[in-house]
Amino acid sequence: MKNENNLNRRNFLLSTMAASTALATGTSLLNPASAAGSLKIGLMIPLSGPAGLFGPSSKNCAELAAETINNRGGIMGRPVELVFADAGVPPAEATKTAIRLMLSERVDAIIGMHDSAVRAAVIGALKAKIPYVYTPVYEGGECAKNTYVVGETPPQQLAPVIPWLAQNKGVNKWYMIGNDYNWPRLSNEAAKSYIASVGGKVVGEQYLPFDVNNFDANIAQIKDSGANGVLITLVGGASVGFNRSFAGFGLADSVYRLGTLIEENTLLGIGAENSKNLFSSAGYFGNINTLENQNFVQRFQEKFGAKAPVLNTLGQSCYQGVLLLEAMAKRAGQWDKAKLAATAEGTTFDSPRGTVTLRNRHVDTNVYLAEANGVSFEVVKTFPNIGSGATCS
Amino acid sequence: MESLLVFNSLNILYEVFSLLLVALGLGIIFGLLRVMNMAHGEFISLGAFTAVSCQMAGLSYWVAFPATLVVCGSIGFLLERFLIRQLYNRPFDTLVATWGLSILLRKLLELGFGKGYQSLELPLSGSVSIWGTGYPAYRLLLMGFIVILVGGLTLWYNRSSAAMRVKAMIGNPELAESVGLNTQRLACLTFICGVCCAGLAGTLLAPLYSVYPAMGLDYLLRSFFILVIGGVGNLWGLFTGAAIIGGLQSGLAVLVNQTAGYFAVLIVAIIFLWRNPDGIFHRA
Repeated sequence: MKNENNLNRRNFLLSTMAASTALATGTSLLNPASAAGSLKIGLMIPLSGPAGLFGPSSKNCAELAAETINNRGGIMGRPVELVFADAGVPPAEATKTAIRLMLSERVDAIIGMHDSAVRAAVIGALKAKIPYVYTPVYEGGECAKNTYVVGETPPQQLAPVIPWLAQNKGVNKWYMIGNDYNWPRLSNEAAKSYIASVGGKVVGEQYLPFDVNNFDANIAQIKDSGANGVLITLVGGASVGFNRSFAGFGLADSVYRLGTLIEENTLLGIGAENSKNLFSSAGYFGNINTLENQNFVQRFQEKFGAKAPVLNTLGQSCYQGVLLLEAMAKRAGQWDKAKLAATAEGTTFDSPRGTVTLRNRHVDTNVYLAEANGVSFEVVKTFPNIGSGATCS
Repeated sequence: MESLLVFNSLNILYEVFSLLLVALGLGIIFGLLRVMNMAHGEFISLGAFTAVSCQMAGLSYWVAFPATLVVCGSIGFLLERFLIRQLYNRPFDTLVATWGLSILLRKLLELGFGKGYQSLELPLSGSVSIWGTGYPAYRLLLMGFIVILVGGLTLWYNRSSAAMRVKAMIGNPELAESVGLNTQRLACLTFICGVCCAGLAGTLLAPLYSVYPAMGLDYLLRSFFILVIGGVGNLWGLFTGAAIIGGLQSGLAVLVNQTAGYFAVLIVAIIFLWRNPDGIFHRA
């Protein structure tokens, strides 16, 4: 009995010590004073909500970027320190998060991988007081002050790809299907001009609420319209469901599909038996066959092990975001938001996506067209240095 | 043109049948036991992920059926015994408890399988020609199975003495107990039956849809709409609800577009909640 008590007390002491150590470590991570001289970057990524699937890959890519930069001396001699916050929240909550990062965490910059509604909230909250890098695929058009974009825009994903599919696969009758919000609608607006420019036509255009998981009516329309190409801007589970039904009805053999947000996770859900003649256009795929990417993937797997999340364009965009800040600081010669803004145009850096150059606060970047082979992508065509179409002065 | 008509009709029929299947488990648990089961969608996910596990283990898809019955049966038993039993006749408490349970189940699925999408191979590929229109064979098989399942349950519910005891328990629990019925055991079996029906729906539908830990949310709302419109505690109500929701959604999706279909379903559900909260068929 007595022994048992002693044991309990010892256990209690041990666990208290462990807890207080953890607490102390936790505080040192959060307390800016104890990490003097470091350059703090706030990362707003989806840790919950529908986009939560991309949280782990976003986080790990950012961590790898910070490690890479710190190994070569940090940004302007200051080690990079990351602070993660959940951006898978409503815009009102994202506003609070951005303000907290800026005022209590005292971050020097924010990198965001989230939807456009949250982007508007973050820009409103930051009031251009610190640089903000927006990283995912998006509809284009963001020109707010001290805001930089590294993600793909519709002109990048579609302008070179639609003519290529017309020429190589004979796709000239397009059916467009997307979820009902601004990214699919603006992507399709852009697509229409590229389709028209190669003499193709649009035979159907439908936007679906997020909750729809039955696509039969659309599949009937596709069959009836005689489309030989479907441009897919459905997202997540909707994209998976649509592509499964599409192939289930036997359309995959005769009709090509092009998606601008069908990344590796979505393809896994679509499944090997449903991915015939499925193309995806993006600035990044996990198996791009460049030396930089092979190094990147190798380091990613070494650092995060066998259970590492699947690499994809959304998660990897966080790596691009951190690298952009490093390159901008190098070019400006100091970490000062006005100086950074003044010298930003023309900033260039090497990345797993290839060489990237900042123009109009967006990037000129390689665009990859990949075809699904089972549940993996194979790049069939690289379009080098494609402009974003942005007109920010 | 005619083939398009056949195709669309088959699609609407399929939608109605699959909704019936999806709502069946909730019809039992909410309809008979009055448990506001917010975890209904997650019970469907359990069936889908059981099928995924079977595929991962290299087993045939058909093994997933007994496996789902075992998984859902035992989980249903434990839940009834340790959570639900304490909450009968407290509808709001069951809502909160099962809502918490749904979050727990989602997180457990995330822990076990990751947040990503799973792909289940179609157990029966190819298509069958119906009046000149090719239709996926698995969908036809599924519709046949739903007819058998629902038909069997209807017969059982109307004819068997076990169902009579269930009805007695629901109608007047005190009286049923005083004439020697073990209502506690009956309620437990009814609950298990509901969980298993939801699980089977998941197993059956998984090859056609996207499978991921949060998939259940898609199914929960639709199931409640069906019960709101059709009324609870009655298979006819369930069928009518599924026909109205499925017919409206798919019919308008064909005639106008998907948004119109979705909008109409919401409007009809609101009108029913407002003017006729007991639904069309209400058990007296």
